[in-house]
Amino acid sequence: MKIEGEYTFDGVRELVWEVVRDPEVLATALPGTQSLEKISENEYEGEMHVRIGPVAGLFSGKVLISDEVAPESLTMTVEGKGKPGFLTGTGAIKLIPQDSGKTLMQYQGDMQVGGRLASVGQRMMDSVSKSLLNQGLDSLNQALLARQASRESGEEVEYRPPSESEFAASVARDMAGEVFSSRWTIWLAIAVVIVIIVLAIVILNRG
Amino acid sequence: MKKSIGERIKRNEDPRLLTGQALFVDDVDLPNMLHAAFLRSDYAHAYIKNIDVSEARARAGVVAVFTAEDMGEDWQPGPPLVSPPPTVEGVTFHSRRQVPLAKGKVRHVGEPIAVVIAENRYIAEDAVEDILVDLEPLEVVSDIETALDPGAPLIHEDLESNLAAHMIQRVGDYQAAKTKADLVISRRIEIDRGAAAAMENRGIVASWDAKSQHLTIWDTTQAPIPIRNGVATRLGLSGNQVRVIAPFIGGGFGPKMMMHYPEEILIPWIAVKLARPIKWIEDRRENFYATTQERRQVHEAEMILTREGKILGISHTFLHDSGAYDPYGLTIPLNTESHAMGAYDVPNYFSELTVVFTNKIITTPIRGAGRPQGIFVVERLLDMAAKELNMDPVEIRRLNFIPPEAFPYERVIIDQAFSPLIFDSGDYQPVMDKAVEMIGYEQFIKEEQPRLRAEGRHVGIGIVPFVETTGVGPYEGARINIETNGKVNVATGVGTQGQGHFTVFAQIVAEQLGVDIKDVNLVTGDSAEFHWGTGTFASRGAVVAGNAIHGSASIVRQKVLKLASKLLEAPEEELELVDGQVRVADLPRLSISLGELAVEANPLRGAVEPGTEPGLEATSYFGPKYGATAFGVHAMIIEVDPETMMIEIKRYVVVEDCGTVLNPLMLEAQVHGGVAMGIGNAYYEQLVYDENAQLLNASLADYLIPTASEVPRIEVGHHETRSPLNPLGTKGAGEAGAIPVPAVFAQAIENAFADQDLEILEMPLSPNRLFELLMEKEGES
Repeated sequence: MKIEGEYTFDGVRELVWEVVRDPEVLATALPGTQSLEKISENEYEGEMHVRIGPVAGLFSGKVLISDEVAPESLTMTVEGKGKPGFLTGTGAIKLIPQDSGKTLMQYQGDMQVGGRLASVGQRMMDSVSKSLLNQGLDSLNQALLARQASRESGEEVEYRPPSESEFAASVARDMAGEVFSSRWTIWLAIAVVIVIIVLAIVILNRG
Repeated sequence: MKKSIGERIKRNEDPRLLTGQALFVDDVDLPNMLHAAFLRSDYAHAYIKNIDVSEARARAGVVAVFTAEDMGEDWQPGPPLVSPPPTVEGVTFHSRRQVPLAKGKVRHVGEPIAVVIAENRYIAEDAVEDILVDLEPLEVVSDIETALDPGAPLIHEDLESNLAAHMIQRVGDYQAAKTKADLVISRRIEIDRGAAAAMENRGIVASWDAKSQHLTIWDTTQAPIPIRNGVATRLGLSGNQVRVIAPFIGGGFGPKMMMHYPEEILIPWIAVKLARPIKWIEDRRENFYATTQERRQVHEAEMILTREGKILGISHTFLHDSGAYDPYGLTIPLNTESHAMGAYDVPNYFSELTVVFTNKIITTPIRGAGRPQGIFVVERLLDMAAKELNMDPVEIRRLNFIPPEAFPYERVIIDQAFSPLIFDSGDYQPVMDKAVEMIGYEQFIKEEQPRLRAEGRHVGIGIVPFVETTGVGPYEGARINIETNGKVNVATGVGTQGQGHFTVFAQIVAEQLGVDIKDVNLVTGDSAEFHWGTGTFASRGAVVAGNAIHGSASIVRQKVLKLASKLLEAPEEELELVDGQVRVADLPRLSISLGELAVEANPLRGAVEPGTEPGLEATSYFGPKYGATAFGVHAMIIEVDPETMMIEIKRYVVVEDCGTVLNPLMLEAQVHGGVAMGIGNAYYEQLVYDENAQLLNASLADYLIPTASEVPRIEVGHHETRSPLNPLGTKGAGEAGAIPVPAVFAQAIENAFADQDLEILEMPLSPNRLFELLMEKEGES
């Protein structure tokens, strides 16, 4: 599966680079990450909980950084294996400074999945991975803003990464958004409210 | 003789099936039974570096875990199912057979790596997840069209390439004929993979009795006797130490004919090793990986014709996807070759088949077995030719049919049995006429279609004939005996998967012995009852086993008449068999029951004449000289919603000529089932693999099987051209329903979009794909 896109970070390139290369921050950005340890300058090892549609499980894997040109570009290779299958992916990331003091990230990569993840999770794969990626990049941006703020004020600014369940909720919201267009979502919401009211009346009358 | 053959009789077996009294493999529950679960590869192509089963073995409730290494000398590739073709010059064939557990390397997703035996399936499955396998992924051969590229990764590293087989067959001189042709139609035609998706998945229970040194196996196989012979050989046992029972089976459709699936060797092997009964039932997701698939082929096809529409020749060069191994030899591509000339007189033919290994699940026949591909190729080319020549699709077919006086018609190529391909008999024109009449062809194209088109509706008609080689040898047999209670026992070696054998075979017996079909007790697929036979495949049950049963019943009838003649003191020719009695035709009061005769035929004391055989029993065998070829025409009226591309089949007509009709009700049921499967092949069912040969839709949520709402009412007409090759005059019909459906769909959908000049050169389609094709057309214009 090909992955391609861009994302604008609200900070200068050097800071973005710092955040991307910080395993602790990276771990918070990769949803479901249970641990991520640096085992060499360019290699991390860790465990990650992945859920794609009906398929969920713990993956253990490696992240390898290569072709590194600080603070411009790098290639990230991810290899994960777990009970629901395996995934391997390579992504090339480019950071381009913008006039506004922001930084544009361009990424393109290729992800391969196998096992139950591929055979049963396939229907969800595209939308889930896009959503995961966007949520992850948003988290990175939050971490970036926190770090920037603390640099400016000289005080520690707390950055609370989203929990796994918050993550899952966001992904579910994204997925629902794909299935129902916004117009339909409104009608669906209205329908749900009506059903709840009717049920409430029925139950109250009984009581 | 009392008429029984040809009667519309309801199925004898249904009360048992419908009230839950029929035994299926998963119903077998033995004391002390253990359960198996398999670890299967997530990778399509990888080296196995290490397998650590220690944690799995340590789990409470796990009895044993086996890998290929643990099998020692007993680890061997499966026996070849079909021998390579010996009779054609210049044929290449590399036999590479599936292995019980992968050793050193995995070659397709789902290939078994280890098996866990535990107290129950839950524990076994949990323990499978405890196994740590270190696999080193390799480059993947994900498609036939890249399999032979220089530098393509080798699936079998002892071979020079991924070529599994290559063969050329020729009739006449195609190239010379081409120079004289007025019209040349060349197209690239592609057919993709599908699954058989039987309602019942596979399953095996094996039980070893150490005290009697006897192994009993319940197996969802279509070939119980060859399975018994193969397992006995593999385990170093005699045939009579192994009993294989293929009980009621919820659908076969071909993949259960595959012989010696890894599990079919392993489960019995483990049962003997642990001396405890073992059960393995395939689950639905496993079925997508562990059960064979079919149909992927890519054809470069060409038809040459005169300007009057007469076919001068057909040529096609095609690639066939064998998957990771090729246990079933050349059966499928040879069937394609046999059917790519359809029902037509084709003087020049060139066919070059190339079979390649890919890192996909093994290919073996599924209902149709290469025939739908052949029919799709020839019928598509003919449709293109008809358009070019501005001819009616029905007319161009009439013009090219093999004429009735040409039978037996020799094709001068070899068929899947490596015998000369001969069409034994046929009369195609009346069958076509009947289909044209039943669907109301003229009225539709002249009145209804123009009216509906004017309303902006996309309605189309398709009408496609097909041939089906059926009823091939080598042989089947049957033993029949009359019990002292007057009931008749019949035992035959073929297995039954829902065909209605218990009724049709009983009708054949009833016709000879004058008994009620309810008094015929049939046993199929139990090697303890009958241990000769080859299996239920190639639409051959009614032809080969049916005629063997007819043969045995005829001999028993002779024995009955001879003995009754003696006891009733009346000449044989004056006797008749009616209602379980033998009576003198003119003096019905003078009679004896079959039960009494059976008692008399088995005396306990006294002298008999030398050469006397006890009882009213006979065993006989039938093997046809070559297969009987059936014929039929499918016609369909379809409406396509131009916005959603969803289809509505407004009419579906089948006229079938399978020789003598044994039971029209059941023939129609077979046709209905086949058409339903064909509809899946045409518009819904496609196994989607990605570039790493990962199967992406291994669930019934994503792999769409037609349901009651997609299958229309199907009208079936009959025509009988008896086969001269067997006493009953029967031809097979089991696969007929599925064979021409994709070709009918293509013609009808093109017709529905006639104004867009759409060409359909691939199967299966889907609403998405049809939309894309129409968009491409729009882009062109």
